[in-house]
Amino acid sequence: MTSRSRFYLNRQGRAAHVFLIPWQLGFLLITAVPLLASLYLAFTNYDILNPPEWTGLENFQRMIHDDQFWASVRVTLIYVLVSVPLQLAFALLLALILDRGLSGLAFYRSAFYLPSLLGSSVAIAILWREIFGDEGLINKGLALIGVHGESWLQNPRTALATLIVLNVWTFGSPMVIFLAGLRQIPDELYEAARVDGAGVWRQFTHVTVPLLTPIIFFNLILQTIGAFQTFTQAHIISGGTGGPANSTLFYTLYVYQQGFVAFDMGYASALAWVLMVAIAVVTALHFLVSKYWVFYGDS
Amino acid sequence: MDRRGFLKVSLGTGLAAAAVAGCGGSGGGPSGGGGDVTLRYAWWGNNIRQQNYTKALKQFSTANPAITIEPEFADYTAFQERMTTQIAARDVPDIFWIASPQVMTYHKSKLYRKLDDIPTLKWDDYSKEDLETFKLDGQLNTLPFGIFTPVIRYNETVAKADGVTVPVEGPGWTWDSLAELLVAYSKNNPGKRKGTPYAPDHDLTFEAWLRQRGEQLWTQDGQVGFTADGLGSWLDWWEKLRKAGGALSLSEQEGMGPDWAQVGKKVLVNFGNSNHIIDDAKMFPKEKFRLRAAPIAAGAPAGHKYLYFPRMAIYQRIDDGNLEAAGKVLDYNVNNAEMLKTVRLTMGAPTNPKVAEQAAAFASPDEKEMLAVVAKERAAERKPRYEAPPGSSTWRTTMARICEEIALGKTAVPAGAQKLVDEIGAGIKRAA
Repeated sequence: MTSRSRFYLNRQGRAAHVFLIPWQLGFLLITAVPLLASLYLAFTNYDILNPPEWTGLENFQRMIHDDQFWASVRVTLIYVLVSVPLQLAFALLLALILDRGLSGLAFYRSAFYLPSLLGSSVAIAILWREIFGDEGLINKGLALIGVHGESWLQNPRTALATLIVLNVWTFGSPMVIFLAGLRQIPDELYEAARVDGAGVWRQFTHVTVPLLTPIIFFNLILQTIGAFQTFTQAHIISGGTGGPANSTLFYTLYVYQQGFVAFDMGYASALAWVLMVAIAVVTALHFLVSKYWVFYGDS
Repeated sequence: MDRRGFLKVSLGTGLAAAAVAGCGGSGGGPSGGGGDVTLRYAWWGNNIRQQNYTKALKQFSTANPAITIEPEFADYTAFQERMTTQIAARDVPDIFWIASPQVMTYHKSKLYRKLDDIPTLKWDDYSKEDLETFKLDGQLNTLPFGIFTPVIRYNETVAKADGVTVPVEGPGWTWDSLAELLVAYSKNNPGKRKGTPYAPDHDLTFEAWLRQRGEQLWTQDGQVGFTADGLGSWLDWWEKLRKAGGALSLSEQEGMGPDWAQVGKKVLVNFGNSNHIIDDAKMFPKEKFRLRAAPIAAGAPAGHKYLYFPRMAIYQRIDDGNLEAAGKVLDYNVNNAEMLKTVRLTMGAPTNPKVAEQAAAFASPDEKEMLAVVAKERAAERKPRYEAPPGSSTWRTTMARICEEIALGKTAVPAGAQKLVDEIGAGIKRAA
């Protein structure tokens, strides 16, 4: 490399660094520093109002005997294990229907995406009460056949299910990604399959699914991480309590309660770090297992 | 312009903008020249209260052109969260209302400036006894600006239509007689209403129950003032009432802490604070609501009655140059009936006895009802009450959860009561 081109590259590099400064500052001040600060706070007793006091592993030991912590772990795991597969299956189904060349595709795509935009809004709390409440649509429907239903939101056996339904209903984002993936599968493969006598189901299982596995994997990772971090829906619908009887006490809601209601920021930081490690472990497991089921065209 | 030139201009502009931004900032210190003062005033409430207080503060600034007030309003929960982050950032408003769970927490954190040496804030209208009850640990550093008492609010229109008579206060007005009334009413009324919402987590009536049994909510030294038995007796009263059909189920009221707009049409009475009648009655404008003081248990000790004060304070680190102006604002809040004409009495009866008398002249019928109940309680003998200690800020959330578990059959009353006492105690211990 000549000194002239090295000089040119250096100038280019310097300019790039200058333009990157805002992002670097943002990353440092808004992400990295708070992240490290929370790691420190996880080992302290910190009520925000007074300086933190070093307590070592006390916050982590406290979790072991904390019933609320275990309740939140249980709720979150059930939610992740049930809602993510359901949502992905529903999104894939809708994407397959939309991929069949319907007229007005843009309208349907937007219409199906709309719930994703509403998913974390106060409007949803009202809508869900109108549907699942004591005098909601479902109970009114049941009353027509002589069944007296109670509020689905206030029954610990059904409250979480209503939030799972809400998550499945907000399938817009994975659906759009699935749709883009389906568009990438060459028609020739389907033609070849049909020539070989494959029906619709075999085309789906032997052509669509294998070629869509990278997209499924991508959606699975995103939605799993998102499900672990679910907060707003539970906060709005339970009024921030995680009730009834802890049945919607999501992990992040519990972190919020500890940090911003009890002002126990040290414990909240420890909880947050446990969640981060848990998500990292689950994501790593996903990647480890992916080599057995994800098919990349170039592999 | 070449790239180097563009970079120079960009950097220069950025630095200049940063410098200008650094010179800015709002509120806090005296704004220089002319002695003008800008104060930040933080409070909570609903939309109507936001509008009323914003208007009243503007009226104050119009009357006192040298004092500008920057309002900082939020919903009750958001207010507490914002205050906490503001305290952490040392960016506390000059004047702020204090949420009840935080009174002693903020006191411990030395957030309050003492108020008895500010010449613009007058205390002449208050009795010595009043001033003693206002103090925290012997210091006059917060300003009670309203009075709430625990009450039973009933729908007089519905009661008359259904032929129900709510007993007057006196020997027949007991918790047992109330429970009997609520159960009997629930079993037989044309509107299929229930007696009351399920509300064992209502703090003021719970405190009245405790004090009538010789217990209290908090002790002077910042501990839990009640026993598991005392709490258990309250939860048991509610559980019997609920099982007998005298209270709404959690399903009917859509959870703990129901929305009055939703349940008001389903019940005859409600357990609440005396001031709630003012906003709640407006939701059912065709109906008339009345108040009764909390029922009294047989053998209740003398001095069991009490008043609850919402408080406001001046930030400890307020600029000295702003202090007199802040005192003037506080004085306007508590010693001037004119402000009440704008903000009304949603924050309870005035603490200043003279202002309370003046307020009666322009009070609405609901406000007059509230003033009458509070005046009666204020005249009664009262033993001291103590504010919630640091570490107990979530006790009402925990209580609501335990009550919910009991109503859902997931916890028995004695176990729930013990669990609540233990959890609150553990929180206080952690904060000590």
